[in-house]
Amino acid sequence: MAEEPKPVKAPAVMATAPWEGPVPDLLREHFGAAVLETSSYLEQPFAVLTLPAMVPALEMLQAEAGFDYLVDITAVDYPKRTPRFELVYILYSHGRNERIRLKAAVGLGEKPLSAVPVFLGANWLEREVYDMFGIEFSGHPDPRRILMPEEWTGFPLRKDYGIVEMDNRWVQANLGIESGQ
Amino acid sequence: MTALDNTLDNNEMVLNMGPQHPSTHGVLRIVLKLDGERVKSTDCIIGYLHRGVEKIAENRTYVQFAPYVDRMDYLAAVSNGLGYCLAVEKLMNAVATPRAQAVRVILTELNRIASHLLWLGTHALDLGAITPLFYTLREREAVLKIFENYCGARLTTHAFRIGGLQYELYEGFEKEVEAFCGQFLPKVDEYEELLSGNRIWRERLRGVGIIDAETCKRYGVTGPVLRAAGLAWDLRKSQPYSGYEQYEFDVPTRSSGDTLDRYFVRLDEMRQSVRIIQQAVANIPAGPIMAKIAKVVKPPVGEAYVSIEAPKGELGYYIVSDGTTHPYRLRVRPPSFVNLQALGHMSKGALVADVVAIIGTIDIVLGEVDR
Amino acid sequence: MKKFLRSFLLLDLLEGLWVTFRHQTPSQIETEQYPSDRPAVSERYRGAPRLNVHPETQETLCISCNLCAVACPENLIVVGSVRNPETKRKDLVTFTYDLSRCMFCGLCEDACPVDALELTQDFEIASYTREGLIWDRQALEEGPRPTQYRQ
Repeated sequence: MAEEPKPVKAPAVMATAPWEGPVPDLLREHFGAAVLETSSYLEQPFAVLTLPAMVPALEMLQAEAGFDYLVDITAVDYPKRTPRFELVYILYSHGRNERIRLKAAVGLGEKPLSAVPVFLGANWLEREVYDMFGIEFSGHPDPRRILMPEEWTGFPLRKDYGIVEMDNRWVQANLGIESGQ
Repeated sequence: MTALDNTLDNNEMVLNMGPQHPSTHGVLRIVLKLDGERVKSTDCIIGYLHRGVEKIAENRTYVQFAPYVDRMDYLAAVSNGLGYCLAVEKLMNAVATPRAQAVRVILTELNRIASHLLWLGTHALDLGAITPLFYTLREREAVLKIFENYCGARLTTHAFRIGGLQYELYEGFEKEVEAFCGQFLPKVDEYEELLSGNRIWRERLRGVGIIDAETCKRYGVTGPVLRAAGLAWDLRKSQPYSGYEQYEFDVPTRSSGDTLDRYFVRLDEMRQSVRIIQQAVANIPAGPIMAKIAKVVKPPVGEAYVSIEAPKGELGYYIVSDGTTHPYRLRVRPPSFVNLQALGHMSKGALVADVVAIIGTIDIVLGEVDR
Repeated sequence: MKKFLRSFLLLDLLEGLWVTFRHQTPSQIETEQYPSDRPAVSERYRGAPRLNVHPETQETLCISCNLCAVACPENLIVVGSVRNPETKRKDLVTFTYDLSRCMFCGLCEDACPVDALELTQDFEIASYTREGLIWDRQALEEGPRPTQYRQ
């Protein structure tokens, strides 16, 4: 805090390094132009794909590169960007002891393909993404909310959803109080 | 609930378990579809303890959010804190000092013991063995006392800070920890005497809730459940953090992946934790406890995913920074949440009474499932 | 045969019972008889907050810097002060601390530059009302006064 003002402003974009190796080669070989970026940041590699290529890529990586463990699926909301959301898949390979991230941009109302046929564990993770961001997955076996009540309206982790905001209609109907605040 | 599948065959019945049911370990509601006494399908309804931790994170500074992570898996608050601190340190490209790392290892391993002890006591209680609970809670008390002496809180400790530690070790810390380790190993043998040799316990658990390693991978199941299925995968070994590579320890595994094996794996893990603690406490490096980081935590634009081996499995933090003092997005990858998904697979065809054993053996904490 | 005898004579169950009997000695009783037998909490315990005063002059140590209020994740501290025209310093007027939202993380006492705000070893802070948990400056300086029960 007590440093003198720096003459060069910190870069406002992520300072990434290129990601080379067999896995990005494999990705480019199979998906070509659908692979938009392969870089790494803080020694953590990630690839940006187009949305339709995502689930096929997961399947390919599972079958051919041994990425047999889907760690997490989540999303990030960038209200100023179009497409608005970024879907993040984290994969791990027990054989390679490697962890990678796959990312794809998702627009409002777009329906990405569900990864449940590839990884069973995607079921709840995708439900949570739907619950929190309102991204619906096509072909999901059980497209319900998971953490919020089924009748809740609004998607809490979107940036335009305030921290004290709530579905007052639901609160009044179900809890018998005026407001949760 | 409108969306529940309400169609039933002639000889099916629906049983609602929870959310106020002592053996669901919190506010978990399970809708069981039964054929007689056999479970045909399960539907977990969660979210009763949802507090929106990820939303809170976006509205707090990095430093301010640290106490909140203790409240997810409140039985392993120290592990949660370690994972969070490591994730933010990764974003800032900082590393804790050797002294801080050693203390962190000691406290997290103590926390693993405390978490497994509470699991053992309550799991045995669920299945009708009341005595072990008193003994495990007594030993856990000793761990909590060490936490209290060190950082002033027993459960939601807030023991670590980004960049290192807030508190220097107190006088007699090493002695207290060593004394605990010394008297704890015989206690584990005592639990074995009470339970492992007990034929009711063995017959009750053997062959219940079987899951193999391949299915574990497909569900993303980690932690003791995965190791009981035969895969020796432990993040402390495969991707060491906080100086775990310096310590010698084994990753206990079993092969059949049933409830009894998970019990044995956790008992062995407690013994291994004692081994790690004894090595770590024997030579805690001298030096500062806080790395040189800026007073205002403000990571550069970027993102990182850091995960640790929490008592329940892989606990990960995915943080996106936009260069301000607040996280732009913070995602917690909770082990309990992902492991709980496998409940449906494990309890298919089991008896209703076995569902209680299976829930207990996954070792879920609803604070972490719901966040 | 040996196995049959073992199970017939319930040896495995008796082994477990033996452990239970070993623990019957009164020296192993761990239960605390709480109100009469008070627990010794550690020196670093983070309990009820206290606003320290100078032991001799009884003047507050707080310099109204507001750092604790900024550090608090729950925004539950409100510091009211006026600027003293003579000393050019801020004088503390009011200080409220909402214990009902406090999670005792200790970030406020870490932030305090003069060790005025401190989380103490007092742990008896229950109150019959929510308002009773909002402590003003006087309560913070005097410490908690739990309701005494008489039979």
